[in-house]
Amino acid sequence: MNKLEFLTRLRNNLERGGLPSDDINDALSYYEEVFLDAGFGKEEETAAAMGSPEDVAVNILRESGIHVGGAPVMPPQRMDGPQGQQQQGPMMGGYVPPKKKASGGSIALGIVLGILTFPIWFPIVCVVVSLLFALIVVLISLVIAFFAAAIGLLIGGIVALTEFPAVGIMFLGAGLILTGLVILICKPAFSAVIPAIGRGIKRFCGWVVGLFKKGGKENA
Amino acid sequence: MGFSINAGLLDAMVLSIVQNNDTYGYEITQYLRKAVDISESTLYPVLRRLQKGEMLETYDKEFMGRNRRYYRITPKGNDSLEEYREEWRSHKKKIDSILLNEGAEYNEQT
Repeated sequence: MNKLEFLTRLRNNLERGGLPSDDINDALSYYEEVFLDAGFGKEEETAAAMGSPEDVAVNILRESGIHVGGAPVMPPQRMDGPQGQQQQGPMMGGYVPPKKKASGGSIALGIVLGILTFPIWFPIVCVVVSLLFALIVVLISLVIAFFAAAIGLLIGGIVALTEFPAVGIMFLGAGLILTGLVILICKPAFSAVIPAIGRGIKRFCGWVVGLFKKGGKENA
Repeated sequence: MGFSINAGLLDAMVLSIVQNNDTYGYEITQYLRKAVDISESTLYPVLRRLQKGEMLETYDKEFMGRNRRYYRITPKGNDSLEEYREEWRSHKKKIDSILLNEGAEYNEQT
């Protein structure tokens, strides 16, 4: 018996026993983990060591206070084929189909939703990212503008110094003031503001991705 | 091992293993196998019972691209384990007094 067969039979028997679906999922994830931890090549061995899934199910049910009378349920035919779906209704009272199918469906649903709402969220994401990017560009250009003005004034001052010393000194002074300002502005701008905006963009993208992952799960 | 092990003793041993180290189902079974003949399917109801009794709690940890369920002992589990240990000591003494001939204090190294 391989892992899939063991887990399927276990699930069927637990469902027949009327175990709440949370408990069923808990048990199945435990047994799935056992198979994974035992190693891929050892499925048959592991299954054999644990005994029949019917007995395992009876033990779990007994521990949950459900006493199973008579022989445990043998593997039913309803698992494969389209007719399984029809049988399931009256027999299980509309019980949830195996977990794998449900989660697969919810992921697909999430993807479909993501695609359908694409015209809405894509422009919003673009706008927010571009705005943040524009902010960085504005900051950098401001710094460059100040820097250029400072250099211009300093050069102009030196040139003017020879003909109109007073004007030249004034230009030089203004140039030095601007240089100081640039240095004062540059430092915090480069060391804090720009990385912060970059982080903001990154976090926003992460948040958008997370939103879709979560959305998918909630629909399960 | 010719002696059967009861549910209480199994609970106590699992608590003791988890108290040493947070660990996962498969590893707990491997530890227990050093002393008793037990399979993964014997362990599951035990873990479930201890969890429901709030003696163990679980958390998931990523391992090779999947989640592995780790068990951690709670304060209540610690208290309970102490009681079990106390009980075991007196139980063992009584059994020893008969089986190994009265009053003989053997210091078993385990």
